[in-house]
Amino acid sequence: MEWNFRNVDDEGELNLKHFFWRCTACGTCRSGYTYGPPPTFRKICPQGEKFGYEGFFASKGKAALARWMTSDPVLKNEFEWTPEYLKTLYTCIGCAGCQNQCLIDFKPHIIDTIEAMRAKAVNDGVGPLKEHHILITSMKNNDNPYTGPRSVRAKWMKGLEGIKDINSESAPVLYFAGCTPAYNAPVKNLALKTVSVFNKIGIDYGSLGKKELCCGSTVLRLGARDEFKRIAEKNLETFKYLHDERGVDTIVSSCAGCYRSLLEDYSLSEGYKDYMDGIKVIHTADFLYDLYKKGEFEPKNEIKMKVTYHDPCHLGRHVKEWIIDWDGKEQWKGSYMGVEDHGTFESPRELIKAIPGIQFEEMRRNQNNSYCCGSGGGVKTAFPDWAAENAALRVEEAEQTGAEKIITCCPFCHANLNDGAKVRNSTLRTIDLVELLDEAL
Amino acid sequence: MVSDPKILKELQGIVGEEHATSDTHVMYAYSYDMSFVKNRLPGYVAMPKTVEEVQQIMKMANRTKTPVIPYTAGSNIGGLCIPEKDGSIVMDMKRMNKIIRIDEESRFAVVEPGVSHAELAEELYKRGLRFGWPVGPPSASVLSCAICHGIGGITGRYGLNSEQITSMEVVLPTGELTRVGSCAIQKDAWHSLLPLPLVGGLFTGWLGTTGVVTKLGIFTPAVPPHVEIVTTATDDLQDMYKYMLEFSRYEAADDLTAVSWWLSQVPIPYPYKEKPKDAPEWNSYAVLYAYTEKELEAKVEMFERTVKNQQKNGSSLQVTQYPEEAKRARTELPSQIVGSTKNYSKQAGGGISWPGTFTPANKWVPVWEKWREIYKKRNLSPSVRVTMYRGTHYGMLRAMTPINKQYPDQVENARMAIVEALKVLLDEGGIPYKPPVDFAKEIYSRADPGYVDLIKKVKDFLDPNEIMNPGKLWIR
Repeated sequence: MEWNFRNVDDEGELNLKHFFWRCTACGTCRSGYTYGPPPTFRKICPQGEKFGYEGFFASKGKAALARWMTSDPVLKNEFEWTPEYLKTLYTCIGCAGCQNQCLIDFKPHIIDTIEAMRAKAVNDGVGPLKEHHILITSMKNNDNPYTGPRSVRAKWMKGLEGIKDINSESAPVLYFAGCTPAYNAPVKNLALKTVSVFNKIGIDYGSLGKKELCCGSTVLRLGARDEFKRIAEKNLETFKYLHDERGVDTIVSSCAGCYRSLLEDYSLSEGYKDYMDGIKVIHTADFLYDLYKKGEFEPKNEIKMKVTYHDPCHLGRHVKEWIIDWDGKEQWKGSYMGVEDHGTFESPRELIKAIPGIQFEEMRRNQNNSYCCGSGGGVKTAFPDWAAENAALRVEEAEQTGAEKIITCCPFCHANLNDGAKVRNSTLRTIDLVELLDEAL
Repeated sequence: MVSDPKILKELQGIVGEEHATSDTHVMYAYSYDMSFVKNRLPGYVAMPKTVEEVQQIMKMANRTKTPVIPYTAGSNIGGLCIPEKDGSIVMDMKRMNKIIRIDEESRFAVVEPGVSHAELAEELYKRGLRFGWPVGPPSASVLSCAICHGIGGITGRYGLNSEQITSMEVVLPTGELTRVGSCAIQKDAWHSLLPLPLVGGLFTGWLGTTGVVTKLGIFTPAVPPHVEIVTTATDDLQDMYKYMLEFSRYEAADDLTAVSWWLSQVPIPYPYKEKPKDAPEWNSYAVLYAYTEKELEAKVEMFERTVKNQQKNGSSLQVTQYPEEAKRARTELPSQIVGSTKNYSKQAGGGISWPGTFTPANKWVPVWEKWREIYKKRNLSPSVRVTMYRGTHYGMLRAMTPINKQYPDQVENARMAIVEALKVLLDEGGIPYKPPVDFAKEIYSRADPGYVDLIKKVKDFLDPNEIMNPGKLWIR
């Protein structure tokens, strides 16, 4: 299968040079700024805030890394990989906070550029970092990044009722649980409660069980494109089979990483439209919100609790689509505008607010300017202490709202925020939206 | 790249190992900005957190004769933070980022170098205060903008941002700490540079060559509750100048600006594009703030009277309607729209430069006519802005020039246009601000010898080992 990944040094239309040379180094990307009124300033780049140097900061820094990598036309440097360069490249969480801020033509390709540089590192045999190798090896051996055997994958669903084995039974909905609830015990509850909520609502759904494979997101974020392609192609074939033979028309993911990957990354394959014809990919939050709006369920049990919500990057900013206002009728000529209905921001909030007794309070940084937990881009694997330290900053922000629980919709954020709470000895815990909903149904 | 491991070790000893480096790829991000100025890699970057650390770096740099370039956001359009010498230390001040004080009652603030416009804007807005937010990115430094004679949205009423400075704390090139203004006499008094000798002038407009300003007091006036933006267009700059001259007599506008057709395009055409015959060559806006509705009505009446008078005298002046979004960009600074550089770079790529100048307003027309030809000849858009400063005797005249930095020949073409334009301007009495070395060369070649001698003496007195941003003034 052909894949249309962009590269930093391609010729032709896939070449990213045209875009990273658009960066003016103005630094607008460095903060989450809204010009209001009232104007608001928020720190947005975890990597920049931690390491400080310009080359680490936001998209301005990433453009510099890319220009250095592909040789500056004035300095005519001969690029060499160094451990320090690799560290800079792999301490970016890829949260896309800078992408939300940038207003020039680098904007749509900032994450592409970061991942293309990592892909080059892997191609050149120097990337990813040695701490990541275990993850890639596990993917090759076990089809998941957690070093867990395939046989264990379906253990979480043992004895559960209501969930069909989609390998042998038909159902319109495939619940794609993902690797994290299957192999990372602290977030196993996410899958269990998703099943519970689906059962309470009366969804006709099934799971691939131990035949489910990783979505491939974690290896793609590291630049290991070949390994991603191997697993993504298998998944695409499976999805087509399930559509044709088992009547699946909806894939529901409760993991923001899987969701982004199935929706965005898989669409880079040339066969995507054929394989996914008639199949909709949706996150649990949107799936449940649509049903709620249709009146198919209503949270009735009162939960007297103050909560806040943490936006996962892969569920919000990462799947935001941009269009250009060419004639300036909507905003101003040539400006980038977010497309409505792309990026899941409102659904989880509306569902939380629909629960009787719940008091909802936003954190200072939210939605497009949400502050990343620090778990993405391979950072949690290679720099676990820093990932937790960064999550602690987010927990501190959540504490300022007076919330008793942080609600989120991503198992990576979920686990890392709880690690962050431990770092600052906070009693504030993070749970998934479905855990809260299950209690309310 | 030139760097000495011993100097790096000393820097790391001062600021901590994680805050000083000579890693080449890190140096690269400090080797360029958006201007035409050629890249040069620094030897080191150090990020001090305290005034004491700044002092120690300066003392070490003096001992080892190592150049030091103060750096905040690197968003100036003059290559001011790009080293002129190999083996330089870029002193990145971002970690010194505290808003030390906002005195709501007396309307002034004290900030460290790393405080951005975005950060201060949020805090001032909460208190009903404002500053001269420039047409720059929100990430730019308040302190750097002020000490480099930046302008902002209140320049028509209050003057340049450097004129809002109320006090300073400075680390001298030799490492001693000094204060200027009221805070020099009473450490908590940050209200005024006057009536003491204006020694703050030793650190404003010197392009980071005479010291490191570590704290700055600035006047932060109130935000008036009423605002109106009035806009006009003319067939040529002569008519526009006459209108601006007459209207500025009333001192009614916080910002009185006109832009050529090319600058009013979004984005600026690159390469040059002919203006449609029926389009006015100049457009203007005036931002009228008022504390009462009556005051605002009076200001609008002054505007209408000016327009009527100009039209009676045969001017091509017309009142126009500005898009709401463009109006917002004029009152809600620092703005993502005008400050993001998007407009300036979208059709070129990665670069903007300018001949940015303070020029007698009555010289705008002759300079413009020559600039238009120079730019057209080089296939560049004459995207020019003129702004009345407080009073009418002089104002800003500049040509935003997009550059495609990916291609050195295009950068050189723009550089040549800009330098040629600058020579024309200097002949008419204009003076460039935040000048790159190419400009400094032209300025000092024409300067009165006594002035050049004085500048050299002051510089040598403050910086005997020539370590502060050496080469940036061209004469030193």
